[in-house]
Amino acid sequence: MKKAQTEILGLAIVVVLVIIATILVVKFGFSKSTNVRNDFTSSQEASNILNTFLKTSASDCSQLTMTELLQDCAQGTGIVCGNGEDSCGYVKSAATAILSGTIGAEKKKYEFLACSNFNLKEIKCYDPTPLVKIDNPPDIQPCPGQKKLKIFPIPINSGTIYVKLEICN
Amino acid sequence: MNNKKAQIQIFETIAVLVVFFILLGIGFIFYTKVIKSNIESDTAEISQSKSVSIAQRVMFLPEIQCSEDNVPKEDCIDTLKLDSAISVINKPENSLYYYDLFEFSDISIKEIYPSSGVAIQLYSKITTDYKNKFQTNAPVTLYDPKTKINKFGVISITTQTK
Repeated sequence: MKKAQTEILGLAIVVVLVIIATILVVKFGFSKSTNVRNDFTSSQEASNILNTFLKTSASDCSQLTMTELLQDCAQGTGIVCGNGEDSCGYVKSAATAILSGTIGAEKKKYEFLACSNFNLKEIKCYDPTPLVKIDNPPDIQPCPGQKKLKIFPIPINSGTIYVKLEICN
Repeated sequence: MNNKKAQIQIFETIAVLVVFFILLGIGFIFYTKVIKSNIESDTAEISQSKSVSIAQRVMFLPEIQCSEDNVPKEDCIDTLKLDSAISVINKPENSLYYYDLFEFSDISIKEIYPSSGVAIQLYSKITTDYKNKFQTNAPVTLYDPKTKINKFGVISITTQTK
């Protein structure tokens, strides 16, 4: 074999080695790390909180559930609770206490909304003044992290109201 | 003259071999680092899966779960069952059974609404010799079957894995 041919062979081996090294770096260097626990907890969080909240009894309102108070709030039947608040006000203060003690304690942004004129496709409330609205901070948009959303429909005499909880991780 | 040329060629061969072994060494170090990071990532994933499965076992523990006509309710803890479960779980003769279920973990339940109460400890077996520690908080309904009152609570599960 001539000297020139040997050098070309050497160069080819170096090129092959460089390609193999690049493939290895791309394969192992940029592989995404999975976070099983975070996926599990964040996917359940909004749903669990909202579900549990709606079942919670109001201690000052004849032990009515939050769902029943929201129905009263939308229908305007005029329940006045033991502490002097109406049903809308009571749900708002209860939700504030619960959300600040759970999601707020983890320093996450959230929005709680109860609305009678809700567009499910656009996930938007068209009520000029929603029945209940709590957001911490005042505007959670934009959410740079993972956003979790849960919407619960509640039947009332004249249709359906929707309760939405949005958490920005 | 020939002798000198041969010596130069020998040195050239030695230099090539030295460079080759240096490259081989760098490649080996890189390979071991990649393997090590993969093993660590797999271990962390296994620990996280273990933590999730312990959390799920707690959430569906029949000793504390609410039920109506023998139908269990999700995300609900019966406060009457809870009082009995604490004494049963903490009995020395049952410790091995519950260790199999919860391993090294700390499980406590706290009322958030209407009144923010003190956390009630259901199970606690912790170790100082752990590699990973995870905390999972899940909202639960604390149901009192005597008064039929639902309270809002949080179950806090801290798991330690070796």
